Amino acid sequence: MRFMMLMIPKGYEKATPGTMPDAKAVAAMMKYNESLQKAGVLLALDGLHPPSMGARVSFPAGKPHVTDGPFSEAKEVLGGYWMIQVKSKEEAIAWASRCPGSENEVIEVRQVQEFSDFPAEVQDAAAGFQEMQARSGSGQPRAK
Amino acid sequence: MRCMVIIKATRESEAGILPDDRFLVDMLDYDEELVKAGLLLAGESLHPSSKGARVRLSAAGTTVLNGPFAETRELVAGYWLWEVKSMAEAVEWVKRCPRPGGVEVVIEIRQVFEADDFAPEIAPEIREHEARLRLQIAWR
Repeated sequence: MRFMMLMIPKGYEKATPGTMPDAKAVAAMMKYNESLQKAGVLLALDGLHPPSMGARVSFPAGKPHVTDGPFSEAKEVLGGYWMIQVKSKEEAIAWASRCPGSENEVIEVRQVQEFSDFPAEVQDAAAGFQEMQARSGSGQPRAK
Repeated sequence: MRCMVIIKATRESEAGILPDDRFLVDMLDYDEELVKAGLLLAGESLHPSSKGARVRLSAAGTTVLNGPFAETRELVAGYWLWEVKSMAEAVEWVKRCPRPGGVEVVIEIRQVFEADDFAPEIAPEIREHEARLRLQIAWR
């Protein structure tokens, strides 16, 4: 089963453009990343620049509307993610619990929808999509 | 540059309501365009937060809260990773993203950290370590 671990860093919603994590925090995170990789569970990971460097698109009345970050109403924002392959939600939670982070930081654990999770008619409509994913070189595990 | 294009959750996505066939076909066509344009690096949908959990880190011990989570608008329903020339290019592509009828969709675009972003801040061995890690993941 694949899970995403979504890092929700405290206060990141207020981080100014160009904010960098400090070297000690990065070193601790690299150790954690290495442990995920050594255990054979790590599929992908990325850190995100703060929302002040991002944008949001909504579609009021069907027309795209772009808002540049930061987003004042957002009390929690994504700071990064890991994609892991594990046997159960419990195992994913165990990994999330080992993540180094600040006091009261939150990691959200979410299950990835596999192709086989979709109902049959959706799978039919998407015939050829898996092949397309493979062609895109996304590095996702092949469905068995 | 790489960006993460985050499809925020909606009441419908959290309820596990699948969009109609028209939307699914449109989305597959859109994904095909992204692949042809050389943008698409990765993309996934997530199960609703009712199947998820939140782990709160603390020196006193971590606590685990099972979903669903209340702040629907801040939850992630799905994402793509794109290789783009600029945020402006990403925005132009997102404007054309298919939307299921009658659903308020919000898509957030975030820039992804690259090793070079850290250049002066972080010891060279960390950058080398990160590069090695990514290589190992790619060869998995």
